[in-house]
Amino acid sequence: MSSRRDTLKWLVYGAALLASAGMPMLISRFMSPDVKINRIKHLRPPGAIKDEQDFIAACIGCGLCGEVCPPRCIKFHIRDGANQVNTPYINPEEKACILCNKCMEVCPTEALTETKLFDIDMGIAQIDRSACYPWVDRGICGACVGICPLGDRAIVFKEWNQYKPIVQSGCVGCGLCVEVCPHPSLPIWIVERSKGSVARHTIT
Amino acid sequence: MNKPFFLWKHLNKLRWLTLITVFAMLITIPYLHVYQTYLAAHAYDLLQPDEKQIYDTMEMLTTPFVDDPEEDLDFIKGNTWSGTFGGFQLSDPLSIVGQISASLKVYWPFILTGLLPFILTAVFGRFFCGWICPATLLYELNTNFAAILRRVGLHVGNKRYDRRLKYVVLGLGVLVSVVTGTVVFATIYPPALVGREIYYAVALGGFGSGAVFFMLTFLLDLLIARRGFCRYICPGGALYSLIGRFRLFRIKRVVESCNDCAKCTSICEFGLDPLKDSFGQECNNCTACIAICPVDAMTFYVSLQDIGPQGPGHAGPKYKRQQQELADGQSDNE
Repeated sequence: MSSRRDTLKWLVYGAALLASAGMPMLISRFMSPDVKINRIKHLRPPGAIKDEQDFIAACIGCGLCGEVCPPRCIKFHIRDGANQVNTPYINPEEKACILCNKCMEVCPTEALTETKLFDIDMGIAQIDRSACYPWVDRGICGACVGICPLGDRAIVFKEWNQYKPIVQSGCVGCGLCVEVCPHPSLPIWIVERSKGSVARHTIT
Repeated sequence: MNKPFFLWKHLNKLRWLTLITVFAMLITIPYLHVYQTYLAAHAYDLLQPDEKQIYDTMEMLTTPFVDDPEEDLDFIKGNTWSGTFGGFQLSDPLSIVGQISASLKVYWPFILTGLLPFILTAVFGRFFCGWICPATLLYELNTNFAAILRRVGLHVGNKRYDRRLKYVVLGLGVLVSVVTGTVVFATIYPPALVGREIYYAVALGGFGSGAVFFMLTFLLDLLIARRGFCRYICPGGALYSLIGRFRLFRIKRVVESCNDCAKCTSICEFGLDPLKDSFGQECNNCTACIAICPVDAMTFYVSLQDIGPQGPGHAGPKYKRQQQELADGQSDNE
């Protein structure tokens, strides 16, 4: 009889131990609520593992990529993101990647692997032709073509004197064009490459 | 008399110096990075007045040491969770355990960054907790604060729990990492939190949720148990204790000169009892007990195992009474 009571006591003790051991993780999980993340505003840094789940598993949240970024474009999910908390992202609307490779070199894990410049795949730029100034004949611009670090591999004018930008397949999605676009509704954005480059015609 | 080497008594000061240096570096590195971003932007005139202040201060501090600050200041980056020092990368062993259990893959370049900490821990035991951990500095100041509160007469928690809880936290953390595929230790491990949150506050404009969690651990230490997080919950401490179980450098009590004053027991941050020779794998070689001992009865020695209980100190009243009783018993027998 007493051995049964002892077993029960140990079971209760073990359960209490397990529950109290899980508390810190539960608390930290509840402190970073799961919010809907807009992928257009949250690009992964260059060289990131393509599969989102693999990236989260590989990233240890040390913040080194952010600490070496010269334009300080790498931000972190610091107060939200559930499983993605402390993982890096780049919001090209605020500050875009300059493709300097420093974050890939410094990352201790394989989360950001060193990639050659033209093999980087953060996404591909997409232009909304119903809002872009030259495409709707509201003047000349060419800011996106002027800033592009990859030149005519990534973005070109439709005709040499028409200033209507067309994205090429060589675009790596660094987002510098998004950063410089003067249009208030930003008719250029970075989408995932697999989604293609068909404009969605959403003017906000 | 068996006197300890005179330098051991001053190791505690060196330890405080190390802790403060590490913490100061963790604050300086984000500012250096901010300075580097200003340099990279080549637009000093566009900076705000407070940003100009950061620029000027950092320029003043670094000009004697670097030629090209934009590149050369990359020499030292990161925090104690994972950092790079002159191209040599170092990572916390816990980050490696967490990452392997999250991704279920073995990535050797990353594992090798934890080799040096692993070897040092195997030799010196849980030294990281006492000598380097940036959270330790804050926690020890918190302990001193609690002592002041106690002197004023306020209630400060001093409960004791099962020390094995932290091993359960470690095991459960590995399990959660495997199931969810995230490095869950990164969000609950205080040194990682402190380093990261300082960076967030300095360079990214505000503390994250980790700072709130850290404040909760602070309150736990203050209101429930002294150094409660380190002693009962910290998964890193658990891992270091396991690695350093058969460490070489240990602290022992010289029983011949000990006078049972129990100052070592009250100073021990981890609630160990040097007076009863119970150090075990939890001792972090912080040397506070060596520094406080009034009769120089604590010393370092090299061994794979602790010496067992040695009984009361020979200079103390209890030992003398025992001897007296023994002598009396012998004389009675005669």
